[in-house]
Amino acid sequence: MRGPDALPPQAINHGRADGFVDHLVGPAASRRRLTDAFIETFESWGFGFMVTPLIEPLDTIAAGVGGAQQSALFRFMDSDGELLALVGERTVSVARVVATQLREGPFPLRLCYAGPVLRNQPLNAGRRRESLQAGCELLGATGLAADAECIALAAAALERGGVEHIQVDVGHADFIPGLLDSAGLEGGARDEVLAALARRDLVAVESALANTEMADAERRLLLAFPTLRGGREILDTAASGLRGERPQRALRELAELWDLIDAHAITDRVQLDLGAVRDWDYYTGPTFEVFSADSGFALGSGGRYDTLLSRFGSPLPATGFVLHVDRCHDSMVRTGAIHGSPPVLRISWDEHGYTEALALARAARERSLVCACDLLEGGDGDVHVSASGRLSAPQGGTEYPTLDSAVSALASHQQ
Amino acid sequence: MKGLRIALPGGTLLEGACDLLRSAGVARLDPARFERELSVHHDDDIYVKVRPTDVPVYVEMGACECGIVGKDVLWESDRECYELADLGFGHCRLVLAAPRDSAIARGQWPQSLRVATKYPASARRFFAARSMNVVVIQLHGSVELAPQTGLADCVLDITATGRTMAANDLVEVAVAGASTARLIANHAALKTRNDAVGGLATALRRAAAVRMAEGAA
Repeated sequence: MRGPDALPPQAINHGRADGFVDHLVGPAASRRRLTDAFIETFESWGFGFMVTPLIEPLDTIAAGVGGAQQSALFRFMDSDGELLALVGERTVSVARVVATQLREGPFPLRLCYAGPVLRNQPLNAGRRRESLQAGCELLGATGLAADAECIALAAAALERGGVEHIQVDVGHADFIPGLLDSAGLEGGARDEVLAALARRDLVAVESALANTEMADAERRLLLAFPTLRGGREILDTAASGLRGERPQRALRELAELWDLIDAHAITDRVQLDLGAVRDWDYYTGPTFEVFSADSGFALGSGGRYDTLLSRFGSPLPATGFVLHVDRCHDSMVRTGAIHGSPPVLRISWDEHGYTEALALARAARERSLVCACDLLEGGDGDVHVSASGRLSAPQGGTEYPTLDSAVSALASHQQ
Repeated sequence: MKGLRIALPGGTLLEGACDLLRSAGVARLDPARFERELSVHHDDDIYVKVRPTDVPVYVEMGACECGIVGKDVLWESDRECYELADLGFGHCRLVLAAPRDSAIARGQWPQSLRVATKYPASARRFFAARSMNVVVIQLHGSVELAPQTGLADCVLDITATGRTMAANDLVEVAVAGASTARLIANHAALKTRNDAVGGLATALRRAAAVRMAEGAA
């Protein structure tokens, strides 16, 4: 037995950076197919595929994302001393492109992307440092139809990718801040409640509200926070006893959005969630998150961010979303929803049979079969080509009189 | 998926957690049973006993939908979970304590300070508000020994009764925080299993309120 003394004196990572993973043949292929399914869905809805760099100037990223995300960036300096970072998300990059090179439109502009994002997560936390994101941005449209389109498209892409049991939670970024403002909560107390909500610490929300002069109806509404969810009917419940134009407007927008989602025929997968906690500095209107009963993490998220592009000098309304490919893939692996790649068929051959074997492989690939020819003679493949050019099952098994019949035999192996 | 998976903290909070689950009518669990088994099935639910610091890990990663854990553990955890309810038991305080005869115990805070603690993140937050030159030394147990051996000038540690502190000739200098047991929930589970998670939160919150009222009466 090798005891603990047998541990090497230092970790040997064989050249791979800590916290990163290699995706090996089977899972890498199913992950790529999932990404392809997402992008194909985006494109079929008219979203043009584009690619932005993996690296952006730190200033560019800082213009778009908040402090917590900035501190998790991998940063470095180039030879000119410019501070750069590996992107931690890609919406800011798309916004930069649109605000600069595509500012003339034509609008609405539908764009999509897929690529790796990097986060400097602590080691051994079970979190990915590199993950794959696929997303869409719909720019230059103010109406709620754009938001509904994004929600419906996210659901459609996940379903086309084979992600099952999805549930979309739709909220509004202005509902809770508006509620606090119209309830007369100001300054420190308001910030305290919002910060506690952002930390998802409902105990702190309750104690912060206890010290305020808030009306009972509004306090009850905020404390009922995790249960403020359901169909269109919750909007009426919430509206009763609510003062103030801002939260009422958020509720009206959600009602209109719900009808649009209904027009997309996906209300069976959608819930309204008035307690949705999102980044209030970034989102300006409806927001959503996609969950599945098979995953402990949100599989996707999005919302309206009408102020981001103005930070790049081109004020433009925008809405969009991102799907977390790796989380989706993980949940599919866990539930057995990932189908492995078909086995690679082998064609073996004896002396002089190589040319015939290659012809057979070409014919098989034309029928979308996955096959490879042995590189050396004398093997024992799924189909064997003898020295005389005869095609047969291995070890002198069934003989195939024609190339076609041999291809059919291969096809039956691959099923 | 039917029931919930609920992470319970081993150690001092286990009995209180089982008591509250029983008085809330959620589950009758004998804490002694967890000495023999790490996971216990009850109705459709599964209760697992893990180290307190691991409770937020199980919950954030979705291995458990809910967990019961001390706020002191959450102070140190960077795991993203919903904190749904104050369960009102497991009271303890995070205090800065120093040897009885030290200058800091007499109210004279030095320019620089070595602090031994099992709570490094809390220590950094506590001292961030005070412009002091502080060296935080993370230990994993028996921090009371640190001043005696000269490893540190003072300790930042959890105390429920103050007895251990007093026995080691330490006096409280400042209170950094107060902790009780909390119900936490996984982000996605709160959304996709809202009935079950919300039901558990309501039952436990109600039972905790009843006990607090009884305690006050």
